[in-house]
Amino acid sequence: MIDNGSLTQLIRTRIPDAEVGVVDRTGTMDHFNVTVRSKAFAGKTLIEQHQLVYGALREALADGRVHAVELKTITAEE
Amino acid sequence: MDYKEEIARELAANTIVVYGKGTKTAPRCGFTLETIEFFNHFGYPFEVIDVLENMPKREALSAMTDWPTLPKVFIKGKFYGDTDILGPMAESGELQTTLADAFGGTAVQKETIDLRQ
Repeated sequence: MIDNGSLTQLIRTRIPDAEVGVVDRTGTMDHFNVTVRSKAFAGKTLIEQHQLVYGALREALADGRVHAVELKTITAEE
Repeated sequence: MDYKEEIARELAANTIVVYGKGTKTAPRCGFTLETIEFFNHFGYPFEVIDVLENMPKREALSAMTDWPTLPKVFIKGKFYGDTDILGPMAESGELQTTLADAFGGTAVQKETIDLRQ
């Protein structure tokens, strides 16, 4: 499990300008709804945007701190 | 065992492949179930391949796609992520076009026509 603040920090290590919204879906702190808003998504396909976020969460997903993520990405305007 | 080859074979043999946790009749993960229901709605044939217990194959799939989570969806061998990607694609009508092309323009479902209007 991981708390919302740590999850946000993990995402910001890869996407420093990310505005991150985290909702713990199950109350078990390992199934999350995550919304990420960043300028870094500009010009990227939806898959590439999600790959960028998953790159930041790779270890947390591998070691089980995070079990499942429902992800939404939003491109921030300049 | 070379999982890359096995995966390539599976992708060549099925137009839509869902790598997930559990099977079509006994999904063992909420997201896998959601993906099965998603594709049931479209009415095209799709294959669900259970990789829950097969860690080396899961790792091969993750390395191939740069995508760490299951399920993973492939259409005509191309990676399309999961329903977080496919949902918005269905809303925009892009997925209906992709599926119609993938199946040679046949078996267009009623839902497809409704969504396009």
